[in-house]
Amino acid sequence: MARIIGGIGTSHVPTIAMAFDRGKHDDPDWKPLFQGYERVARWLDEKRPDVLFFCFNDHATSFFFDHYPTFALGVSEQYAIADEGLGPRRIPPLKGHAALSRHIARSLVDAEFDISIFQDVPLDHGLHSPLTMMWPSQPDWPGRVVPLVVNVIQQPLPKPGRCFALGKALRKAIESYPEDLKVAMVGTGGLSHQMIGERAGFNDERWDREFLELIDRDPERLARMSIGDFMRLGGNEGAEIIMWLIMRGALAPNARKIHQNYYLPMTTAMAVALFE
Amino acid sequence: MRYVFDLERSARGLRLNRFLHGLTRQDQRRLFLHNPEEAMKALTDEEKQMVRCLDWKAMQDYGASFFCLEKLARTKGVSNPEMVAAFRGETLEEFLRTRRVPGAR
Repeated sequence: MARIIGGIGTSHVPTIAMAFDRGKHDDPDWKPLFQGYERVARWLDEKRPDVLFFCFNDHATSFFFDHYPTFALGVSEQYAIADEGLGPRRIPPLKGHAALSRHIARSLVDAEFDISIFQDVPLDHGLHSPLTMMWPSQPDWPGRVVPLVVNVIQQPLPKPGRCFALGKALRKAIESYPEDLKVAMVGTGGLSHQMIGERAGFNDERWDREFLELIDRDPERLARMSIGDFMRLGGNEGAEIIMWLIMRGALAPNARKIHQNYYLPMTTAMAVALFE
Repeated sequence: MRYVFDLERSARGLRLNRFLHGLTRQDQRRLFLHNPEEAMKALTDEEKQMVRCLDWKAMQDYGASFFCLEKLARTKGVSNPEMVAAFRGETLEEFLRTRRVPGAR
């Protein structure tokens, strides 16, 4: 049977990909970020998960407001890298796991999560800006991904509690897949930031650190909060951290945070946390 | 809670956002850079003017999604800190002075 071996929470800021692609590993402005991912990359190298299940959002790249899904699951064997205005990043296409995806889709609908399904859709930085910090892309990716795209950019957004419940349903879905597979959950986004309006540039490190505590020790408390709470505390765009709750909901209740890094250089607080 | 991108804003900005989103295609970027009026022909005069001037705040107020504006910014070589500074009514230099690591961009 497939099993969930742990989880990762990570920011997906586009400049993380830019710093990686430009080789800024030893640049003093970026080194604290790269160092924070070393422990996570080592964990992935040691544990060798077959699949990373990614909870992330598309940034009006492959999905547009003519039809914007709330929860959409990818079911392809491969996903191209999306063009976000500068041409696609020069990394290999992502390898999917169609059979696991299809099983998860059926299991979620059976659990009354009526998700959308997509295939053959290119994926944007929401997934691969953190991925290249943790997983080698050369000569090719060491494993496969299953992408879950979440609407966090057009209100109404799904409730935090619904995200947490979806994580629990995902745990049942993944752990009922008959093949022996090791799966790691990844929840992306945040932490505090606001990109628009007079409050653009807003951050709150105190709230970010509280969130990093609560997602470990008391995710139920986060799940009881509203989207409005998350926007007020972490900025409008910071509310996207509800995607960490999907990841957390899929982990064993006794899973614990074993590593975290926090770095706030510019407009968005960049964090990564590892759970086992 | 101002500047929430909700369904009202999304409906108001749909035509403009569709144009901005089109810049994820290289052929559309080329057309826009070489023949902007042809690329913008589906837009109203008001929308065209905001795009021509790269008036980030006007486009935001009108109903552009930040994530669609990013496509225009990338096409024109404008960074996110420059856009954020415009929303705050600051120059880039003023905005960077409020940041912990101004070089990280």
